[in-house]
Amino acid sequence: MSRGNSELDRLRAGRTELENHYIDELVSGNVSRRDFLRRGSMIGMSSTLLGAILAACGSSSSKTASSSAAGTTSTSSGPVTKGGTLRIGAVAPAAAVNPLTVSDAGGLLMLNQTGEFLIFDSNLKLELQPMLALSWSPNTDGSVWTFKLRPNVTFHNGAAMTADDVVYTFQQLSDPKNASNALSAFAGVLTPSGVKATDPMTVEFTLEAPNGNFPYLVSSDNYNAIIVPKGTDFTKWQSTFVGTGAFKLGKYTQGVGASFVPNPNYWGTKALLDSTTFNFYMSQAPMILALQGNSVDVIAQFTPAGAAAILNSPSYKIIKLPSANHRELSMRNDIAPFTDPRVRQAVAYTLDRPGAVAALLSGDGSVANDYPFGPRFKSTDTSVPQRTQNISMAKQLLAAAGHPDGFSTSLKTEIYQEIPQLAQVIVEDAAKAGIKISPTVETQTLYYGKSTFGNSDWLDGTMSLVDYGDRGAPNVYLTAPLTSAGTWNAARFKNKTYDGLVKQYVAALDLQMQQQIAGKIENLLLQETPIVYPYWIDGLTASTPNVNGLNPTSIAQLYLNTAYKSA
Amino acid sequence: MNMVRFILKRLGLALITLWILSVIVFLLGQVLPSDPGRSILGPLAAPSAVHALDHQLGVDKPILTQYWNWISNFPGTSYQYQAPIGPILGPALLRSLKLAIFALIILVPLGIVGGVVSALNAGKPIDRTISVVGQTMLTVPEFVSGIVLIVVFAVALGWLPVTATAPPGSGFFTQIKYLILPVIPLVMVLFGYIARMARVGTIEALQSDYARTATLKGLPRGVMIRRHVLRNSLLPTITVIATQTGYLIGGLVVVETLFRYQGVGLLTYNAATQHDIPMLEACVLTIGVVYMVVTLLADILFSLLNPRIRLRAAE
Amino acid sequence: MSIVDIPVEDAGALQAGRSEIRSEVFRQLLRSPTFVIGAIILIFWIICAIFGTSIAPHSPYAQNLEGINQAPSSAHWFGTDQLGRDMFSRVIVGSRDILIIAPLATLMGTVLGTIVGLVMGYFRGVVDDVLGRFVEAFLALPVVVTGIIALSTLGRSNLVIIVVIGLLFTPLIARTVRAAVLLERELDYVAAARLRGERAPYIMFVEILPNVFAPIMVEFTVRLAYAIFAVLTLTFLGLGVQPPSPDWALDISANYGVVPAGYWWEVLFDALAIATLVVSITLISDSVQGALEE
Repeated sequence: MSRGNSELDRLRAGRTELENHYIDELVSGNVSRRDFLRRGSMIGMSSTLLGAILAACGSSSSKTASSSAAGTTSTSSGPVTKGGTLRIGAVAPAAAVNPLTVSDAGGLLMLNQTGEFLIFDSNLKLELQPMLALSWSPNTDGSVWTFKLRPNVTFHNGAAMTADDVVYTFQQLSDPKNASNALSAFAGVLTPSGVKATDPMTVEFTLEAPNGNFPYLVSSDNYNAIIVPKGTDFTKWQSTFVGTGAFKLGKYTQGVGASFVPNPNYWGTKALLDSTTFNFYMSQAPMILALQGNSVDVIAQFTPAGAAAILNSPSYKIIKLPSANHRELSMRNDIAPFTDPRVRQAVAYTLDRPGAVAALLSGDGSVANDYPFGPRFKSTDTSVPQRTQNISMAKQLLAAAGHPDGFSTSLKTEIYQEIPQLAQVIVEDAAKAGIKISPTVETQTLYYGKSTFGNSDWLDGTMSLVDYGDRGAPNVYLTAPLTSAGTWNAARFKNKTYDGLVKQYVAALDLQMQQQIAGKIENLLLQETPIVYPYWIDGLTASTPNVNGLNPTSIAQLYLNTAYKSA
Repeated sequence: MNMVRFILKRLGLALITLWILSVIVFLLGQVLPSDPGRSILGPLAAPSAVHALDHQLGVDKPILTQYWNWISNFPGTSYQYQAPIGPILGPALLRSLKLAIFALIILVPLGIVGGVVSALNAGKPIDRTISVVGQTMLTVPEFVSGIVLIVVFAVALGWLPVTATAPPGSGFFTQIKYLILPVIPLVMVLFGYIARMARVGTIEALQSDYARTATLKGLPRGVMIRRHVLRNSLLPTITVIATQTGYLIGGLVVVETLFRYQGVGLLTYNAATQHDIPMLEACVLTIGVVYMVVTLLADILFSLLNPRIRLRAAE
Repeated sequence: MSIVDIPVEDAGALQAGRSEIRSEVFRQLLRSPTFVIGAIILIFWIICAIFGTSIAPHSPYAQNLEGINQAPSSAHWFGTDQLGRDMFSRVIVGSRDILIIAPLATLMGTVLGTIVGLVMGYFRGVVDDVLGRFVEAFLALPVVVTGIIALSTLGRSNLVIIVVIGLLFTPLIARTVRAAVLLERELDYVAAARLRGERAPYIMFVEILPNVFAPIMVEFTVRLAYAIFAVLTLTFLGLGVQPPSPDWALDISANYGVVPAGYWWEVLFDALAIATLVVSITLISDSVQGALEE
């Protein structure tokens, strides 16, 4: 691969130092072709360019450019038929559909029907693709990111999209006064004054600190970040659904459903369907029955628990996406006996993870190790050994920590998807080592309480089992629940070494660097085990066999411009 | 004249009850341990943001002010949906009424026939059977009967739709078709109660002096039943049906969820769990109003059928 | 409807007569097949509730993640559930909570409702009007809503569930009792008692109450079934009994979603258990009612 390569040299000229560094890594074989593609796209190198570099390196399976639209066909069978209405079953949005405040799966699914993002995080290809931004790049240390916008994009109201609209959007999202859900991504990273338009098609983000994963934060992963026209009143967005997407609003009825029609002025692959209809359901069971009863053609996203009826049946197409959706069992590091890491490790050793994945997820997930790095993230150091169930080890650790006969404790958790069942598995498994856990399963409102320390069973429970939704980068999982100042630190884990490592990880621009630091973090967390991570859950979408071209993401979005129903 | 005074008096009492209900509901809403800001923004929002939103919604104002605001702006705006409650509650009420009336149309004749047959055959096997079947059916919760019905009739056999919400613009008979499956769990839950009450009333009527005299005088049984007994077996039945209004209009969360039918029950349940106080109060008051109307009608019917009460009330 | 029509002078004989009647009624019941069948079933479940863990072949909590959702077989008579637990053992032990909560709640509601109904029906006038307003207001509240609010505020112990359901049943029973009392108070024996100078509580509880016993009995039986229904609904909404209790209501709520997948045994046997319990109560109360009617 390393020949004096004039084609490659030509491509190298004009690339930034960081980009050349990546090319070096590729050439020397330190990075796989796939990793190179991913990291390269992350820092804004176009697919065309990446493909050319790979070709110049003699790679035969380079990905070719296909960056026109945010969407590629996932499964194609049957002739492409235009027209028809696609009926989709989805969980009802929990509250008003306000792009700033949406925080639930039902709501975010509505946002992406008509709204679009600067970047699209493709689960199918595991890479970042241009959407409303054509290219993006960091400065040397990653504290300033510059985005070049796609020209000739119009909003549904006819106005042309310019940098001013993007600036307005991100200023509103990052403004603490607006209490946007996006602050969970932007707090400490971006402030309204850091967003600037340097020309009508270019936006510059000046960050509070260098951040190697910033593009993820303005991608479809940050589901609130759809670009809207400057001056939009977000509280009234629900009546217009104004955006730049392939569909525009037909009608939206609270708690009942919504319909969308194609946008004839869309910049990308125009929609094939005549319209889409969403039926809202309050829970999963009736949604699954609706698919079985032919009342809907697609279920936007569902969890394996309770879906045996369609998972076991050959009559439905299931799209499985690797996802970082997971559960965290935190233990109060400041309450005995969990003050001793050996006790915490003991709990971790009692859990039968493969059994839980098989029984609770019908196999649609993967075992997790006791840290928030997993198969979804390229920066994961996979050399760290997987912890497995070992009851005698658990008993040994307990005895060493002064609890040869086990101990009693309590667990608080929520009624949500398969979590009550998982709690029961945890309780039974822990009992094998003499740990007697008495669980309390409550409704979510009661479990979360005021979501502040001292006012929330979630954050205050001696043991607490909570859900965490999918994200494109592990940053949030590393900071909020585990850093000393983390606002979701239910485990009360306070470790200076850890804090330092996380800061390094966040700032690292380089995949190698990230992997190295990840390895250190993984080993530290395995030692300390403040939290037990049982498994990662796949994102599942189901449809009848004649539906094609669905483009779901693992955070429960669903793009439908390439979807069609064959006869 | 007596009738008019009777109705006016009942109306007056009903208004007082409604007012008491509004205060009770308001206090209940205050008692809930939460804040609407948190419910709207979700569990992960920053406390300062929640606090700001609460202030915006006026949650920290004195109770009397809040009560007055709510009363004067009735029905107000939903915290959860950030939209006026009227256009959401109106159609939901209509849907609930359709379902309830359809259920009653099937339930009342079925219940009364069951009760009368039981009474006429008191102590015999048919009486026991009806009683046992009725009681057993009512312990089958709607989510179990509902899901079995859907799996059998909608999924496996495909005879009926999986949902209760007919496509917009559907005709009368189409809407009925969509409501057949959801009505069955309701009938199952209430049949036993209605039949039992009808049975009690019929037995009393059969044993009354009037009935015995009539039979002794040679009046054919069938005629006597129709003229006297039925009327009296209706009395406790009417009372019972009126008291189930709360359940039929506002308590059908499970059926509405399973069959995807946005009625008042679902709205009320969501409002209660999401702490959407304006919506909760609007829903409960609406149920209260329907309940008052129904009980008023029931009381009028009751006194029409039982002259003794009417005369006493007029004194 | 009067159980016994006795002239006023025989008041003393009335008391003696009543206890004689009671033992006669009891003997009659023991001879009635419906009563016996009902009693046997009820006693069976009570034994299960008390000694369940010793009777059951497996522990109701033992999981087997490799053997989930298995159909009934010789190894597991009622099959296994979503975590591989033996359904038969769970059904046996699961009788405990329902057998405690439902009867206690119903009893509370019946007692309170009867008192309120008697007071309202007897005194009428202002007392009836005022009490009536509150009764009506509470009647209009759907069970689900009040249940959610109460259980959210007061915590989810069995005691709270009993009190909540009991209080919610009170207005309903009060209304029925009131209607019956309204009819009774017009009868001669009440007027006679008043002429004798008996005070109100005596008239209400000693004279009228036995004569409205029949509708109260009917209400109690029906309410008991509805109490079970209420526990089921509250548990379904997450406000009832806590897992991993093998309580019937909890298992039905947790497993109903897999019925479409064909795992019918995870719900059927619990539902049948509830049905047999209700049938037994119905049989018992029907035969008691029948015996009292004679």
